[in-house]
Amino acid sequence: MKIENQGKCLSISDIPELTAVNSAHFRDEVRAVLPNSPSVIEIDLSQTRFVDSSGLGALFALYRATAQCQGVVLRLLNPRPEVQQLLELTQMQQLFEIVQR
Amino acid sequence: MAAAQAQPAQPAALRVPFSPDPQSVRTAAEAIRKFLGEQGVPEKELFSFELCVAEAGNNAIAYAEGPARALKPVAEALFTPDQIELRMTDHTAGFVLPERIVLPPPQKERGRGLYLIKSVMDEVRYVRGAAENTLIMRKRRRAIQATAKEREPGMPGALSLEESQRQLSESKSARASMAGELLFRSDTLSAIFRCCAELGRSDVLADDFGKRLLVDLFHLTTADWCVLRLLSVDGKQLVVAAASESELVAEALNLPLPGEAPRGIEAAVAASQTAARFDLREGRDRSEPLRAVGPGATGLVCPLVFGGVLVGTIAVGRRGGDFPLGKLQEEVVRIFAEFLAIQNVNLRHHRDEVRRHVFARELEIAQEIQHLLLPRTLPQLERFGLAGGWQSAREVGGDFYDALAVDVQSLVLMVADVMGKGVPAALFAATMRGMLRGLAARTNDPAKILSGLNRLLYAELSAVNMFITAQVVHVDLQTRQITAASAGHCPLLYVPAGLHAVQALPTKGIPIGVLPDTVYSPATAVLGEPATLLLYTDGLTDTRNPAGRLFGQRHLTKWLGENAFAGHTAGGLRDQLARELNRFRGAAEMTDDQAFLVLTEARMNPDGAREFDAQRDPALLDSASVRIIG
Repeated sequence: MKIENQGKCLSISDIPELTAVNSAHFRDEVRAVLPNSPSVIEIDLSQTRFVDSSGLGALFALYRATAQCQGVVLRLLNPRPEVQQLLELTQMQQLFEIVQR
Repeated sequence: MAAAQAQPAQPAALRVPFSPDPQSVRTAAEAIRKFLGEQGVPEKELFSFELCVAEAGNNAIAYAEGPARALKPVAEALFTPDQIELRMTDHTAGFVLPERIVLPPPQKERGRGLYLIKSVMDEVRYVRGAAENTLIMRKRRRAIQATAKEREPGMPGALSLEESQRQLSESKSARASMAGELLFRSDTLSAIFRCCAELGRSDVLADDFGKRLLVDLFHLTTADWCVLRLLSVDGKQLVVAAASESELVAEALNLPLPGEAPRGIEAAVAASQTAARFDLREGRDRSEPLRAVGPGATGLVCPLVFGGVLVGTIAVGRRGGDFPLGKLQEEVVRIFAEFLAIQNVNLRHHRDEVRRHVFARELEIAQEIQHLLLPRTLPQLERFGLAGGWQSAREVGGDFYDALAVDVQSLVLMVADVMGKGVPAALFAATMRGMLRGLAARTNDPAKILSGLNRLLYAELSAVNMFITAQVVHVDLQTRQITAASAGHCPLLYVPAGLHAVQALPTKGIPIGVLPDTVYSPATAVLGEPATLLLYTDGLTDTRNPAGRLFGQRHLTKWLGENAFAGHTAGGLRDQLARELNRFRGAAEMTDDQAFLVLTEARMNPDGAREFDAQRDPALLDSASVRIIG
């Protein structure tokens, strides 16, 4: 996993999977950089071939952690079709912008 | 091996016990994904299955407690072409799978696993056991169609031994698949019958509806335990139909006889048809069955009554007396009791409906089987006509006939009677028809054909104590010679050369399936002009009239003598015979199947024109067997 801070944009990429194995690690790593108060958080899911409910839980936790910061945009980039379906099934698109670039 | 071809998918299963840690769950989920991929499940479907195994596996390890935390959960995948079933066996205390699962609000980090499983699978069940529980997840899928290879048209002319062996084995495998289908249908039928039998029992509520309802009730009342008992078929006992705790699955309670004191609170409630509250801390009755819950249990027992008739009882309560059920909760129990009683009556109506459907479907299947038994077409001949008649006493019988053109001038005819009825008889009949075709390609000798059939069928028939009687006839249309052999079958009737009368051709032999190596001896005769030949099963001669008198072979011979020279076509003679049989039987019930095959010959007019035109004669034009309904 790679976390890059580009000004106001926090960019997270290179996530092969988001599961019970690594979701806590993911959540803690991202939370650790939130004090930098980014205005956009982009999570690149193009490399992510598998996500389970723990992985989704980490994304919901991220939403909750940023909910009190006004105007933070949460963006999920290029999820694979199966992952996209999962996001829609759990109504993630109401919390995150899902963008195909 | 030849080049790989598309094979129809075969059932397969994988079992993966795994260590109780998240990484092992991942490994198990990936193993199952890989396995399903190898079975030909498309890539885009694999994600869902991997997800379900991951979710179920994570729950299995998250909720294990105490020593159970060291036990390995087991992930399983069962693949069949039309369904994928995933199973996760855990060692947790278990949970109650809600009927509906709602998506948790975004603020909640956890609790989406079951929602996802329920969303992507067609059926989810959770079976709780004493030491382990299994989550069963099923997804139906469309079977992968095997591409049917177009058969090449057969080459005319003599067949080599190799070729006929190949044909025999092809025919065997075709019959085997047909037999498989018949078996499958019979299994399906018996499954439906079993289901109906279940519905017929008064504890039908236990299996499905009652349990579901009980779970809802359990949640609504926040009770610690509940037990549903239903009245047994004989109306004498209360049998546990569903219970929240395994210790409550106790033996049946006898309803008290008149003047007898009831044993236990539930029996008392059933006898009085009045609900009762109870508190075990007050009672001293050691034999009270509800003590299984605990010494201080409290709660409510309601009778299930509909239209004044007792259906069962329902008991709901807490383990201790500190938090007894409130008024509202008791009201809920009463409402449920009423509903359960009504539902039981509804289910009885439903059961009648299901029976009607099953009966209709049984008729359909029987008709399909019948079509498999008789040849679709009979050989079309230049100067001769062939027609078959068939009537079944029941929906599926074991009588059948078949006719094969060996070459342009000879035929092999067969009439057989498989002892017994129903699907097993039909299976043997279908198998034997296939074998006849294979054997007739190798030899024209009816005796050798019968020996061959006996050799091939002996083991299977003797294993189920069945046998087959059969008559096989080779007809040389050029020389008019007939060669017949019989395996315990009634004699054929014919008009011999130079005679203006009908005779029986005496043939003797042991039925097929009685001895392992039976040798049959052929009998020969020459057909007169016009040729008339009748092969039949004993269902014809055993036809009884309302007075109980048999139709008999003498009557049949006499009838044929009167009609053989009347210039009937084969189809005409067949129809006449069927009419005669039905006329004789009158209002009497048909007790046996009937099958027969007639061969006739066109008479020549002095100018050489045929008396009937093959192109217009229905028996020749479309010699498919006609089913004659009595």
